[in-house]
Amino acid sequence: MNLEGRRLVFLLLFLGVGIIFTLRLFYMQVMDDQWITRAAEVSQKQLTIKPPRGILYDRNGVKVVSNKTYYNLMFVENQIKDLDTLAFAQLLEIEPHEVEERFEAIRKSLDRKTRDRKTGRDTIVNDYRRYLPYAFIKELTAQEIAKIATELPNFPGFYEEAISMRDYPYPVGANIFGYLNEIRPHELEADRYFYRIGDVIGRAGLERYYEKHLRGQKGTRFIISSARGKVVDNFADGKLDTPAVQGFPLHLGIDIDLQAYGEQLMENKLGSVVAIEPKTGEILALVSAPSYDPNSLVGARNIKKNYATLVQDSLKPLFPRPLQAEYPPGSIFKLIQALSGMQEKVITENTSFPCNRSMVGCHNHPTAQNIQQAVQFSCNPYFYYQVRRFIHQGKHKNAYKDAAIGLDIWVKYMKSFGLGIPLETDIFGIRKGVIPNVAFYNHWYGEYRWQWSTIRSISIGQGEVKVTPLQMANLAAIMANRGYYYTPHIVKSIGEDGPLPRFREKHYTMVDSTHFAPVVEGMRRVVEEAGGTARRARIKDIVVAGKTGTAQNPHGEDHSVFIAFAPFDDPKIAIAVFVENAGFGGTWAAPIASLMMEKYLKGSISDELKEKRILESRITP
Amino acid sequence: MRHSSRKYKFTYDWLLMLIVFVLLVFGLINLYSAAYQPEHPSFFDFRTLYGKQLFWIGMGVFLGVVISLIDSEYIRKLTPTAFFVVLVLLVLVLFTEPINGARSWLGIGPFGIQPSEFSKFTTALMIGYIIQGERGKNISKNTVFKVGFILLLAMFLVLFQNDTGTFLVFSAFFFVLYREGITFDPILLFFLNNLFRLRLKSTWVGVHFIPVLFVLIFFGIITLYFAESEHSFAFFPGAEIPGWSILIGILTLLGIIGYFLLKQFSSQRNKRKLTTILFITYFSSILMVGTISYTYLNVLQYHQKVRIDLWLGKIQDKDGEDYNRNRALAAVGSGGFSGVGYRQAVLSSPESQHVPESETDFIFCVYGEEWGFLGSSILMLLYTALLVRLVFLAERQRSRFARVFIYSTAIIIFYHFAINIGMNIGVLPVIGIPLPFLSYGGSSMMAFLVMIFVVLKLDSQRKEVLA
Repeated sequence: MNLEGRRLVFLLLFLGVGIIFTLRLFYMQVMDDQWITRAAEVSQKQLTIKPPRGILYDRNGVKVVSNKTYYNLMFVENQIKDLDTLAFAQLLEIEPHEVEERFEAIRKSLDRKTRDRKTGRDTIVNDYRRYLPYAFIKELTAQEIAKIATELPNFPGFYEEAISMRDYPYPVGANIFGYLNEIRPHELEADRYFYRIGDVIGRAGLERYYEKHLRGQKGTRFIISSARGKVVDNFADGKLDTPAVQGFPLHLGIDIDLQAYGEQLMENKLGSVVAIEPKTGEILALVSAPSYDPNSLVGARNIKKNYATLVQDSLKPLFPRPLQAEYPPGSIFKLIQALSGMQEKVITENTSFPCNRSMVGCHNHPTAQNIQQAVQFSCNPYFYYQVRRFIHQGKHKNAYKDAAIGLDIWVKYMKSFGLGIPLETDIFGIRKGVIPNVAFYNHWYGEYRWQWSTIRSISIGQGEVKVTPLQMANLAAIMANRGYYYTPHIVKSIGEDGPLPRFREKHYTMVDSTHFAPVVEGMRRVVEEAGGTARRARIKDIVVAGKTGTAQNPHGEDHSVFIAFAPFDDPKIAIAVFVENAGFGGTWAAPIASLMMEKYLKGSISDELKEKRILESRITP
Repeated sequence: MRHSSRKYKFTYDWLLMLIVFVLLVFGLINLYSAAYQPEHPSFFDFRTLYGKQLFWIGMGVFLGVVISLIDSEYIRKLTPTAFFVVLVLLVLVLFTEPINGARSWLGIGPFGIQPSEFSKFTTALMIGYIIQGERGKNISKNTVFKVGFILLLAMFLVLFQNDTGTFLVFSAFFFVLYREGITFDPILLFFLNNLFRLRLKSTWVGVHFIPVLFVLIFFGIITLYFAESEHSFAFFPGAEIPGWSILIGILTLLGIIGYFLLKQFSSQRNKRKLTTILFITYFSSILMVGTISYTYLNVLQYHQKVRIDLWLGKIQDKDGEDYNRNRALAAVGSGGFSGVGYRQAVLSSPESQHVPESETDFIFCVYGEEWGFLGSSILMLLYTALLVRLVFLAERQRSRFARVFIYSTAIIIFYHFAINIGMNIGVLPVIGIPLPFLSYGGSSMMAFLVMIFVVLKLDSQRKEVLA
C-alpha cells in the first residue's frame, strides 16, 4: 500500500475547499445582488420624526395647551444582563412578579394573526424581537423618571426615551380642548399617509376639529442604523431628509381667566355658560358644568385610569352641554317673537295686549303698553296674542291653512336667528336644537289639523322649541349687534391666518336693525329698572341689557336661563347662562352672567356678596 | 538571526514564515477595523482588542522562540508531559462556572486561557508520539487502540465542556491517521470475521474509512433533510408517515431487490460474499438512518435542531434564529468586488454591530465587507498556500513524529478555516470556532503560533533524524 499517495487526498481537500470557497465568494459578492439589498434593508432606516403638536394660546396670548416632555422606560431584551428582578421591582415600586408579567404582556401584545396561504388556517405570529426596543413603562413624568434614572445604569438593557405629550397649565376648558388618544384602526385606515400605529389623534374638542392644523408635518431622516437602533451615520449625508414641522399654533378667542372664573362659578351646578364677543363671534368662555381637569386625560396611562370614571359619572362631565344639551329656551324666546312680529308688521313698537291670565299664567305686573314693557315684564299673554297674530296672518280663509302658512314664515325667522339650524362652531358634534315646522306638526296632528291654539306654547319658548346654550349666547350676541351675528367660534386665528373663512361671514337676521331698539331697550329695563326680572344682573357703572328665562322641566325643578350683553351702547360681551334645575332665571343665571361680564369688562368683582352667594351654592338634582 | 557563524545555517522554512507573517499582519489590520475604539485609537493601547491581540501575538512568538531553542528530540520527549498537563487543565475546566453555556475558560481574574485550544496542539504531539514507534507500514492493533483512546479521551473532555466547535476539530485527526495508514480494518475485521464467520484479510471500507466517512456524512445530511417531514399517501388515508420510516422503507426495498438480483444473476462462487456485503451494507445503512433520525428528533436540544434546520434551509428566520448567519452573509455579500473600503464597513463595523461576534467567530465578515472579493480571494489563496505548504513540509519529514504533527497542524488549521469561513459564507451551519491568525483570542492565537513554531523547529531539524 502506498501511503504517500494519500497526501493527494489532503491536497485535493485543501485545494478543493479553497476553490469552492473562492467560487462561492465570487458568486456572493460579485454576482448575487441580494446581499447588497439585504444589507441596505438591515442597515438603512427611515426614521419618522414626530413633530410637536401646535400650541394653543388664549386671546391674551397666554399658553393654555402646551407640550410637556414625558419619558418611556425602554428596554432591549438581549441587552438585559442578569436582571435583579427584586431590586428592579423595588425601583419601579411594583411587585416583583409584575416584572415578568409585564415582559410577557409586551410579548403577547405583539401577537398577530395571519392566515396561511396554503392551508387557510389562522396562525399566531409573534412580531416581538429580542433585539428591538420596547417600552417597559410608558409616559413617566420628569419626577418619576428622575427617581429611576440614577439607578438605571445598574440595569443594562434599560434606558429612557423622551416623548412629547399635552400639558394644560390651567385645569379648565376640558370640553373645549378635548383630548388626545391613540389612533383607532378606522382612523388609521382613513389617513394611511400620515398616521402610523401608536400615533395619537385629537379625540374631542379643538384637538379633533383642528387635528390637521395641530398635528404638523412629520419629518423623515434616512440613517444608517446600528443593530441596536442607534444612529451610526446619516444616509447620503442627510440630503434626503426632511425636517419635522410643528403644528400651527391656535390663537383662541377664549379668555382663560374668564373661562376659569366661569368654571369656578358653575362648580356644584349643572349647566352652561357661553360668552361671546358680539362684534367678532369669538367665544370668550364656554363653560360646561360639571367638567374635569384636562390633565386627567393626558396619555394612555391617565386615560386608562380616569376615562371609565368620567364616562360612568351620572353628571356626565364629558358631555359638552353648551353645544349638545337642548333645552326649551323659556322667556328669552320672547325677544325673537317681538322682533319678528314687528318685522312682519303684525305689531308695532307701541302695540299693547292685556295680560289675560285666562290664556296663560303670568306674574303680577302692570299691563305692557308697548314692546319695551312687554319684554321688561316678560308678559306671557302679550306674546301669546302677538304670536297668534303672526301665525294667523289671514293669508288664507281656512284657519288651519292660514296657520301652516304663518308657521312657515315663522320658522324662516327663527332660523335666521341661528335657531333650529346647526350653528356650526369649531367643535364637532353640536346639536341644532328644535324649531318645529309644518312637517313636524303635520306628523303629530295631521295635515291642517292644527292651528295656533294647538301649538301656542311655542310663543313663550316652551313646548317643542329647543335651543342649545350656544344658540342662546348667539341670540345675546345678535341682540348686542342689533341684527347680525358671526357664527360663534373658538379659534380666532390659525397661526397668523385668522379664523376659518366661514367665521368671517356676517349673518343678518330677517329683522331690520331699526326694530331692535325697543326690544333692546326692554332688555335694558329688565336689568336696570324697577320691575325688571333680572335686577340681580346689574353691574356697577356698566349698563347691562338682559332677559331671563325659565325653562319648564317636566323631570324636576325648572331650569334657570339668562342672556345678556354689556355695555349697553358698545357691547363687548354677550352671554348666556343656563343653570339646570335652578328655577327662575333671575335668581341664579342672572347673577352668574353679571359676575362673568364684570370679570371680563372690569377684571374684578365689585359685589363680593353676590360672588360669595354663587360660589357657596350647590344646585344639583 | 544572521549568518554569523559558518556552522550555523538558517534552516527554518522561509515560505511558511512569510505566509503566517502576512496572515498575522492581515489579521491585525482587520481587527483594528473590527474592534476600533474611537477613544483609544492607538494600536498599542492594551485596553483595546487590537492592543491585546498584539500582546497575544507577542506571547505566542515568545513561547515559539523558547520552544525553538529546545532540540526537537526534547520536544518529542516532553510530549507526554505536555499532554498530561493540558489534560489536567481540561479536567479542571469542567469545574468552572459556564460562560455562554460552555465551560472552556480557566483563569484568574481578567486573564484566562482556553485549555481546549491548547489540547489540539498537545493531542497532535501525542498522536505523533504514539505512532512514531511503528517502523513498518502496518500498524499494530495496540497502537491503534492507544491512539483511539487518547483521541476519545480528549474529545470527550472537550465535549463535556459543551464546546462543539473544538470537538468537531478533533475529528480532523482521523485524516492524519488515514495518512499514516491506521485503518479501522482491525475493528471491522474483528466483527466481520467473528460474528459472520468470514475470513477477510482487509476491507475496502476499513482502509478508506475517512473518505468513506465523509460520504456517509453526506448521506447523513440527506437523512436529516427527510427525517422530520411528514408524508401522507392516498392509499393510506389519515395516517401521516414520518420521513425517516420512508427512508428505511426505501432501503429495505432496495435491499430486497438487490437480494433477488443476486440470487438470479450472481455466480455461485461470489454469491456468499456478495450476499454478506449486501446484508452488512443494508444493516449499517439502517443503523445510520435510525441513529441520525433518533438523535435529530429526540436527543438534540431545540436550539441545536433549529440551527441544523436553518442551515439545511428548512426554515427561514432572518431576524430571529438565523439572525447571526443572515447578517454575516449580508456583510460579506455586500462587499462587492473590491469591498466598501477599510474602516468603511456598514454592517460589520463596531459602531453598527449588525454582525455579532465580529471580532472573533465572524471576523471574516469585516474583512469580506471591507476588502470585497479581491481581498477575500487573496485570503483564500493565503490559507490554501499555507495548507499546501504544510503538506509539502510534512511529506519531506523523515521522522514519523514530525510528519504526524505537521499533518495534524495542517488539518487542524484547515478545519478551523473551512468551518469558520464556511459559516461566514453560508455553506456550513454556525459553529463557533476562531479563524486562525485573524480572530481575536489569546489562547487560539498562542496555540496556533506555538504549533507553527514547532512545525518550523521540527522541519529545520528534519535531516538530523534517521528515519
